Amino acid sequence: MSETSTRRQFIDRTCRVVGLAALGGAAGLLARRTSAHAVFQVDPSTCTACDLCRTSCVLSLSAVKAVNDFAKCGYCMLCPAYMDVTSQPDEKGIPSGKVCPQDALKRRVVGREDPDDPNNNYYEYTVDEARCTGCGKCVKACKPPAGNGSLRLEIRYDRCVGCNECGILIACPSTAIVRVPTPGMSPLPVEGGHPRPVEGERPNE
Amino acid sequence: MDSNKVGPSPDIAEDARRERLSKRWLPLASVVGAFGVVAAAALRPGGAPPAASSPGAPGAAPSLPPPTEPPPALPHQYTRTAVVVGPGMPGEFRRWLSGLALGPRDAVYALGDDEVRVFEAGGRLTRTWKAPEKASCLGVASDGRVAAGSSGRVDLYSNTGVRIGGFAAGTRDKPADVTAIRLVRDEVLVADAAARVIRRYDLRGTERGVIGAKNKTGGFMLPNRSLDFDVDASGVIHATDTGRHQVTSWTFDGTMVASFGKFGMAKPEDFVGCCNPVNVAVAPDGSIVTAEKMIARVKVYGRDRMLLAVIGPEHFDPMCRHIHVAVDSIGRIVTADPERRTIAVFERS
Repeated sequence: MSETSTRRQFIDRTCRVVGLAALGGAAGLLARRTSAHAVFQVDPSTCTACDLCRTSCVLSLSAVKAVNDFAKCGYCMLCPAYMDVTSQPDEKGIPSGKVCPQDALKRRVVGREDPDDPNNNYYEYTVDEARCTGCGKCVKACKPPAGNGSLRLEIRYDRCVGCNECGILIACPSTAIVRVPTPGMSPLPVEGGHPRPVEGERPNE
Repeated sequence: MDSNKVGPSPDIAEDARRERLSKRWLPLASVVGAFGVVAAAALRPGGAPPAASSPGAPGAAPSLPPPTEPPPALPHQYTRTAVVVGPGMPGEFRRWLSGLALGPRDAVYALGDDEVRVFEAGGRLTRTWKAPEKASCLGVASDGRVAAGSSGRVDLYSNTGVRIGGFAAGTRDKPADVTAIRLVRDEVLVADAAARVIRRYDLRGTERGVIGAKNKTGGFMLPNRSLDFDVDASGVIHATDTGRHQVTSWTFDGTMVASFGKFGMAKPEDFVGCCNPVNVAVAPDGSIVTAEKMIARVKVYGRDRMLLAVIGPEHFDPMCRHIHVAVDSIGRIVTADPERRTIAVFERS
């Protein structure tokens, strides 16, 4: 009799434990999914590229990076975000200084290359995220009317720790850090950009 | 890269933990550090503190502009003598202003607020009519016929504003991005920024030729996706080649005959920024008037393409991407500032 009772008790307890574990797991999954429905992101329309993203992130190298929207980019030879247009021109008349203090903005010729006259070339600009500190100097230089406004700052989710103590959110003077709903998807495109032109083709062709 | 990944990876979380710890001790460390620096500076001969940061370091001040030469005295001066239309004036544009052209008797034709508005040279509003949807530019023939350009389309109007025709511009695969339009010699010239050329059409819309394709790059270099042009009395087309920082001149058969201009931030005769000049007009005496963005200004180049005058940025909104320009029969420069929705007249003083 006592043996039967013990078996029943055992089954009862096991069921309770399994039930509780299942309930806890479901609750955890639900909470995780709910938290993934909205993330912080930089609103480019209000961002002033003030440099606080670089200094206010909890990470030593900020999770905020510059990205280039290729659809908006002019592929300029004289990109005001790449070269400091006020710096001393070289022998070809091209400004010698660069805007990025980390040299994180890289460029390469797209389409046919004219080696004799760089003015005949289009250049694709990408951000080396390992170097980018999120200072926003390039973003500021690309803002209209000087540029097309294709460079913008973005919180990168492969770097953001989701600490819920976002120093940038608190520090941002223009309230440009907003919550973006993400129904199971990235809120904005990643990989330093955005639809690239077809390889070997010039933009606008 | 997986952008959905919100949870921290172990090493990043470790980074964050270290960061928080360092932040806790940061105030104390800063005080001790500052004291050390001050003490060291006081003990050094001369007492000067060490240099702040190296030029390449994050947060370092951007490089200073090169010393600019004092602006040379230019041969001509222009002063603003009239405002044709602006906020608070009769016929004002309340929402947008995007096109400007001069017609017979120097009447000012302007496109904005979904209308074409015609002003006398003195500023009196004489006629208006509904513009095609999303029209972006307009041109006026010497007899008063008007052409309005929109994406992939050209619409033609009589001098009284009655629609007399229209046609699709560009190709079926790539409709023209019409950024400028002129009516010359019974032809409609259309700047197609999508194809980076100027297209010649007859009044029925049959394409007669293409201008700008006969160069190394097969078209104008347009990082800002905008092309403007004007035609002088001898039939030469002067177009903005913004990526090259030039104004290039072409015959109707598509041969380039001249060009001038180069990039430069210091000398006023050069064109600033990534892509300038953005707008152009030809004066009756053959002078060329250009408009720039970044430094919103208008410049006048003589027949020998020497700089004659600068109408400075104090007259325009600094955010202006396009200052539309036109020159009337006696050489007055008419400008349209879309940001301030103002059309003004400048005369040589």
